[in-house]
Amino acid sequence: MGMNKKYWTGLDELNNTPAFQEAISNEFSNTERVEDFLSNDKLKETNTGRRDFLKFMGFSVAAATLAACETPVVKSIPYVVKPEEITPGIANYYASTYYDGNDYGNILVKTREGRPIFIKGNKGLGLAKGNIGARINASVIGLYDSARLKGPKKGGSDITWTDLDNEVKGALASARNIRIVSNTIISPTTQRAINEFSTKYAGKVKHVQYDAISYNGITKANLASFGKAVVPSYDFGKAEVIVSIAADFLGTWLTPAMYQIGYSEGRDVDNGKMSKHFQLESVMSLTGSNSDERIPIKPSQEGKVAAAIYASITGSTEKVEGVNEVVFNKMITALKGAAGKSLVVAGSNDPNVQLIVNAINQSLGNYGKTIDINNPITLYRGNDADMLALVDEMNGGAVDALIVYGANPSYSWYQSDKFNTGLSKVKTSISFNGFADETASRCTYMAPDHHYLESWNDFSFINGRIDLAQPTITPLYNTRQAQESMLRWSDNGSSYYDYMRTTHNGSYTSPMMATDSSWNMAVHNGTFAATVAAAPEATAPTPPATPTPTLNVAAAISAVKAIKAGTWEVALYEKITVGNGNQANNPYLQETPDPITKVTWDNYITMSPLDAKEFGYNVNLGQESAATVAKVTVNGKEMTLPVFPAPGQKRGTIGIALGFGRGAGNEEIGSAAYQIGEYGEHMLVDDKRVPIGKNAFAMATMVDGVPVYAGYSASVDITEEEYYLATTQMQNTVMGRDSVVKETTFATFMAEKDKKKGTATYNMVPALVVHEDINKDGVINAQDKKPTSEIDLWADHPVEGVGHRWGLTIDLTSCLGCGACITACHTENNVPVVGKEEVLKHRDMHWLRIDRYFSSDFATVEETSEKKDLGTIAAYRDMENAAENPRTVHMPMMCQHCNHAPCETVCPVAATVHSNEGLNNMAYNRCIGTRYCANNCPYKVRRFNWFNYVTNDKFSNFNPSQGEMTRMVLNPDVTVRTRGVMEKCSMCQQRIQEGKLEAKKAGVPVPDGSIQTACAEACPTNAIVFGDLNDQASLNTKRSKNVRSYHALEEVGIQPNVFYMTKIRNIEETEA
Amino acid sequence: MIKEASIRKPLILGHKTYGDITNDVVSPIEGPAPKQWKIAITIAAIVALYGVGCIMYLVANGIGSWGLNKTVGWAWDITNFVWWVGIGHAGTLISAVLLLFRQRWRMAINRSAEAMTIFAVIMAALFPVFHMGRVWLAYWTLPLPNQFGSLWPNFNSALMWDVFAISTYFSVSLVFWYIGLIPDFATIRDRMVNPKMKKFYSILSFGWSGRAKHWTRFEEVSLVLAGIATPLVFSVHSIVSMDFATSVIPGWHTTIFPPYFVSGAVFSGFAMVLTLLLIMRKTMRLEAYIHLKHVEYMNIVIIVTGSIVGVAYLTELFISWYSGVEYESYAFINRFSGPYSWSYWMMMTCNVISPQLFWFKKIRTSLTATFILSIVVNIGMWFERFVIIVTSIHRDYTPGAWGEFHPSSIDIGLFIGTIGIFFTLFLLFARYFPVLALNELKTILKVSGESYKNDKSH
Repeated sequence: MGMNKKYWTGLDELNNTPAFQEAISNEFSNTERVEDFLSNDKLKETNTGRRDFLKFMGFSVAAATLAACETPVVKSIPYVVKPEEITPGIANYYASTYYDGNDYGNILVKTREGRPIFIKGNKGLGLAKGNIGARINASVIGLYDSARLKGPKKGGSDITWTDLDNEVKGALASARNIRIVSNTIISPTTQRAINEFSTKYAGKVKHVQYDAISYNGITKANLASFGKAVVPSYDFGKAEVIVSIAADFLGTWLTPAMYQIGYSEGRDVDNGKMSKHFQLESVMSLTGSNSDERIPIKPSQEGKVAAAIYASITGSTEKVEGVNEVVFNKMITALKGAAGKSLVVAGSNDPNVQLIVNAINQSLGNYGKTIDINNPITLYRGNDADMLALVDEMNGGAVDALIVYGANPSYSWYQSDKFNTGLSKVKTSISFNGFADETASRCTYMAPDHHYLESWNDFSFINGRIDLAQPTITPLYNTRQAQESMLRWSDNGSSYYDYMRTTHNGSYTSPMMATDSSWNMAVHNGTFAATVAAAPEATAPTPPATPTPTLNVAAAISAVKAIKAGTWEVALYEKITVGNGNQANNPYLQETPDPITKVTWDNYITMSPLDAKEFGYNVNLGQESAATVAKVTVNGKEMTLPVFPAPGQKRGTIGIALGFGRGAGNEEIGSAAYQIGEYGEHMLVDDKRVPIGKNAFAMATMVDGVPVYAGYSASVDITEEEYYLATTQMQNTVMGRDSVVKETTFATFMAEKDKKKGTATYNMVPALVVHEDINKDGVINAQDKKPTSEIDLWADHPVEGVGHRWGLTIDLTSCLGCGACITACHTENNVPVVGKEEVLKHRDMHWLRIDRYFSSDFATVEETSEKKDLGTIAAYRDMENAAENPRTVHMPMMCQHCNHAPCETVCPVAATVHSNEGLNNMAYNRCIGTRYCANNCPYKVRRFNWFNYVTNDKFSNFNPSQGEMTRMVLNPDVTVRTRGVMEKCSMCQQRIQEGKLEAKKAGVPVPDGSIQTACAEACPTNAIVFGDLNDQASLNTKRSKNVRSYHALEEVGIQPNVFYMTKIRNIEETEA
Repeated sequence: MIKEASIRKPLILGHKTYGDITNDVVSPIEGPAPKQWKIAITIAAIVALYGVGCIMYLVANGIGSWGLNKTVGWAWDITNFVWWVGIGHAGTLISAVLLLFRQRWRMAINRSAEAMTIFAVIMAALFPVFHMGRVWLAYWTLPLPNQFGSLWPNFNSALMWDVFAISTYFSVSLVFWYIGLIPDFATIRDRMVNPKMKKFYSILSFGWSGRAKHWTRFEEVSLVLAGIATPLVFSVHSIVSMDFATSVIPGWHTTIFPPYFVSGAVFSGFAMVLTLLLIMRKTMRLEAYIHLKHVEYMNIVIIVTGSIVGVAYLTELFISWYSGVEYESYAFINRFSGPYSWSYWMMMTCNVISPQLFWFKKIRTSLTATFILSIVVNIGMWFERFVIIVTSIHRDYTPGAWGEFHPSSIDIGLFIGTIGIFFTLFLLFARYFPVLALNELKTILKVSGESYKNDKSH
């Protein structure tokens, strides 16, 4: 049934009148014609009032204006089909592996919405137990570097991959011989691809491996001693006595990530263990700064010292001129007493020195105990002799095709000029490098490799394990994995992934890798056990179970003794920040201060302050007054660099860091690699950008065909020039302030180990005399002291025992000062990179800094005054200077989250307030930027946004937040701060929140250790531990109650939530 | 021969009549601007504009335009602030405290001293405002109703107290000054021929008619305001000093700061008044009204306050040693022997030694010497604030954070700019406002008796 009711518009319709019929026949009913309307005279009588006119005008203008405004379009594209594994706001972690030819690490890549944003160690995995260090942590930004090659190129212009393949294949087919130059290849599948390539072009191909920083001296010495050209595994944890002759094993020597862990295991003071560490070196290294006894020596003395040690432990006595005899003898005694429990290492790349060191370790019976030659690491198998031969061959015009993979010889080879000349004679040269760097830009073809975060790979770092690298993002640009290129040119169409699967499919290593599920498990873990090593050294003889090295070191000893000492000697060293220079364009690393000098963004000449004074150089840090520039001549190479007065430097020696001076030919290696002027522009000389620092690789001395990073006969001349160096710390010493840094000897510590916290002689609770009978002896006198922690103006914050109370404990004994925490904090918290000019103005933004204190000649003002016969004022001034060979403390310093925070009371707008979890919170939105809080902070850890780092042109060349691509690296969980607000360590608030939510979801109390701040997570030695101080079972609480634990500046009464643990040195009492 | 007791010397020299006073004060306003005034205001305005330019640059780019750094968060900004506030102290002291103490000599100087106060406080207020990282949110320091969940400022913060102290001081000083000006404006209004100017002054004079009722109320209000202003003289700088005294920084955390700051403020304020008056006296030919007696009195105030300041410096030094606190004693050792020791010795010379020269009558009554020393004192007082602020925080508790401060061109430009703005305002005041409180001056003029006595024709 339909509608049975009818409705009418009116009676007209009901009656259906003719008028109505006419009306509905018109399209527009009730119309009046326009002309009728306009001709209506009445219209002329109406008038529009002035007010109405203005209203209409106003409306029209406003409407027109508004219509002209365009609403800004904010693109937010939702997933049409949401990938299963991606939940916006939730991070994913992928196990992967980092290897760049120098550094190796098992990593976890944190991705957010598909973007890798943070690299952390895959804890517990591998020999380094997932310890990665600053360089690997900061490497994530390289993915987004806008200077990366965006596709294949031929002679500077773009080319398609197909064309490139065709041209290259043609060239290779016609080439008489083909050379591949790469860094050490430790990937079995890459090796397989190279082998396949060699088979394809059989008889023509030779693969040359060389390392930017050569360790060929070690491998050569081991070949001579054991018949194995390998780098052995060292176990610093088992060594009770460690002697290092210029080996910076905690910073840059071989694989410091592993050694740092072992070293701190051997110095676990709370369990009564502490190795004795002697360091002999010319430039104070990170390792030297951690040593118990340090003997400054000249580079030419490294061999002589080794020889003397060898002689001394094998019966005779021998001494080296100019070496502190007392300490040397102490060292010999210690070594003799620790046979089989000691470890002697040398940093020199001179094979003779390494041979003597092998002999020392053999005599001490350290092989098989602290040194494992049978399970060597696969890194650093480069052969410099091959490289020398290749360069000669190239210069002779005998090389038709050269493939460069992962190496940058135009920069890092000691004769880069000669290499470049040779390269220009090669008909077809192909580079796989990701940037148009020094080498790539000189090659005919650039076939850019993927970034490591876009690639699959496998690595065999040590016999028995394969570590996997997996892509965490689709390749950003039109790049192709290098191995795949090799396969194409070998006419193998397989993808590298499939190729890699087949490598591990049965025949090569582990049969269990055959199934998808076990493979997926291996990818998930980032590693799997492999039964057969992918040892390329298949021809090496099998070493005997107990190695018996050829102890014929007489020749080596006479060789090292023949080295003549120069008036000036140069030691070339590596910085823990920039390393061999392959990440020179990484702003995080450039801004991370050198752990010893605290200089950022530069290399320089380190010189003993005494020498500097004697020769008329500026003895102040080059920050307040410009550093003197000196000209160094060594091995026929000349270089001018600013002079930095570095305490601990052996007199008569200078140090220059490698890894600088990248992009000297104005190559496209990234805008942060070049010097930036005051207004953020690149400094130009002859229209070319000026690189940061100078390339010192050319200064190496060749000994037996390997570069030794030293110059034995140098000259240093003062020049008229001056140059400013940007340091983050300007005061070298702690000025006897034992409430900032507390330290004691191992013996004292052991004697007072069982005392209650606050009663040990080296860590007394500060107390004040009060007008109360505290000790209940019936009289009120000077003995009535009350601990400052009990004297208070205010009511307590209810943080003790209520809910959570987050805090950190920082062990000054295990802190090595490596700076991994600085970059981790930097990348986690979007801390602005501010560049050299701002660091020069003392405005670095690091939320976490490491204060490095050198010891003065005497520990206190009173002592200085007495021993040096100085008045108090002069004594204070004297204490500002570091001792000639100082002891060092590294003290990580971040917001102490004081329960009675001085910053909180002074903020006029309450922008910084205390949370009920013991955190000192910073409400950026509320901050108006009076900086009162920063002034009132006794630790000076607050950082002010002096500029808008996100938009100000001054920072566009290096601040990640300013790049279209680089800003993707920012952590979306952390606000990017605007100009004019204060910021500081938040104790990784975002991580705490995440951890609490996880625990809440799981319905359990927050498990101890489930939340880690970026710094604690990055710390290789667990010097920084984060945890809930209200959780009585937590590690952090236990550490906070340790006898060594104290608050920095406790007597100020601000009750921090960060505890420090007294620095223990394994030295004798009298030296403390 | 008429015998009489020795009487006080007259405060107004020469045979001035009421009409003379009016003429002397008002005629410069009526006449055309003198050439030297035009030159002076041109220079002042150029400097002022430069200062405004620096402020604009600062606001556009950020506080990084200054030389501050992670260790030294305040330097020239707060130094200038305290310096200007200090200068602003003399006016109120002269007009309010001396009024209550019936010091009638003040009448020749109070008007310009008050004007100086107002302008100095305006200059002072620029700094705490523009030293903020986000100056556009400066109003958040006020306890205004808001939509942030009723978020209040932090009443624990000394900066918060500053906001109240300065704004109260400024408004009371302004009202006090303006009330005093009303009868004088009326005088000018009555004499003014130019109709536009007449209108201007008639608006300013608030319809003053000179009735007895007006005068009574005028006197009452002046007294009441003087009563209100007197405690402010002491409170403002006490509170400013609490910016430092309530902190934990050695060298700032000092209990003697309030009296020390107040006397320092009076010290510098009187010096500034002297600098300005000596110029004004000369250029505007006010020798009859502002004469040696005034200068001498003010120099005596400078000796007294300067000595208090000197004692405070020595007390600080003594206490830093006597306390036995490592940080405290180092803070002071660093002051006189550290990287900024030159500024400490500058301060000591200018503030402690130079005012003592006024013990010599010859120096105290020499206009040239007074003029030079008044400038020296103000230089010294600027350095006092610089020493307190910068040398205390540049090396405080944690040696690893020690650093140094170097001013940028914007720091310097802004400071010089405020001097320009100050002088621009002061020159405008000198041109268009009665520089002497003529209605008050007329109460101390001895007319009939004196002229009769000295008239030898009888």
